[in-house]
Amino acid sequence: MMETRQLVVAGVALALVIGVTAVFFASGDPDGLESSAFYVQGEKTLTGDAPEEGDPEAIGAGTFAYEAPMPDYTLGEEAGKAGEVMAIIAGIVLSMVGVFAVARVAAAGRA
Amino acid sequence: MHIPDAFLPIGQAIVYWIIALVFFALALRWANRELNEARIPLVAVLAAGIFALQAFNLPIAMGTSGHLVGGALAAIVLGSPYGAVFILTLVLIIQGFIFGDGGITVMGANIINMGVIGGFVGFYSYQGLKAAFGSPYMSAGIAAWLACVIPALAASVELFFAGTFPLVPGLIAMGTYHAVIGVIEGAITAIALYLIATVRPDILAMPAGAVAS
Repeated sequence: MMETRQLVVAGVALALVIGVTAVFFASGDPDGLESSAFYVQGEKTLTGDAPEEGDPEAIGAGTFAYEAPMPDYTLGEEAGKAGEVMAIIAGIVLSMVGVFAVARVAAAGRA
Repeated sequence: MHIPDAFLPIGQAIVYWIIALVFFALALRWANRELNEARIPLVAVLAAGIFALQAFNLPIAMGTSGHLVGGALAAIVLGSPYGAVFILTLVLIIQGFIFGDGGITVMGANIINMGVIGGFVGFYSYQGLKAAFGSPYMSAGIAAWLACVIPALAASVELFFAGTFPLVPGLIAMGTYHAVIGVIEGAITAIALYLIATVRPDILAMPAGAVAS
């Protein structure tokens, strides 16, 4: 049976491989919600291709805008694929550290 | 399935945030009771894996792509729907604030759909299917499919109440695309459960060969 330390290392390594592979091989097609937005706007048939140009959020009426530091898992266009790899690694590390920290704090309050 | 800010009016978004915070508070109580020094690193690694898998969009035809959500996987591995709420809430916060994936005002709705509904549907359908059919991996795969499709249908209803999607076309589109994406969800969940049960069966709160009472 794998030791916890080995399992953590293997799990992080697997997450990094999946994340970095995603940068190069993930589909650029819209996701299910975005495709649905195109469909209800009449810009796409149910089974047809997504429009080349189009904004799935055009149907929305909200006005709130937020500028994320690494939008769409990138460090900006000029950073290219290297920036995307760094963004994904940052996300994986942040997810792990964030959940670890909150779990530690939550568990520490045990009576 | 990450709803962007533009899709929900602020009043409705606040209601979803309040509901989501109630469930996250319950998830913190679960973490307080169930997590210990040995289990916390494994929960953190599961979160890292779910983040990575959510970034990997696979083509599903119909001009659409999809990725794992992870609610069922987290709930089954951790033996509680609140495990899914705990992990998915924190992952969604990071995705929204750092990467702009999913809105800020609407984050409560995303937490409810993917964490709460995904976690509860995944966990309890796994329990029911496992009791009925016995096979843990087939049960996990079907439960994960349901935990992808039902939150998508819930999202389309929320978007109908928001006035963003018409009801029937929204349900048809969200249901169709996520029925296919759910196959990815089911396959990855079953494979991940198998791998974990193979290398460390002891960390499964609800062992793959048993049904939680």
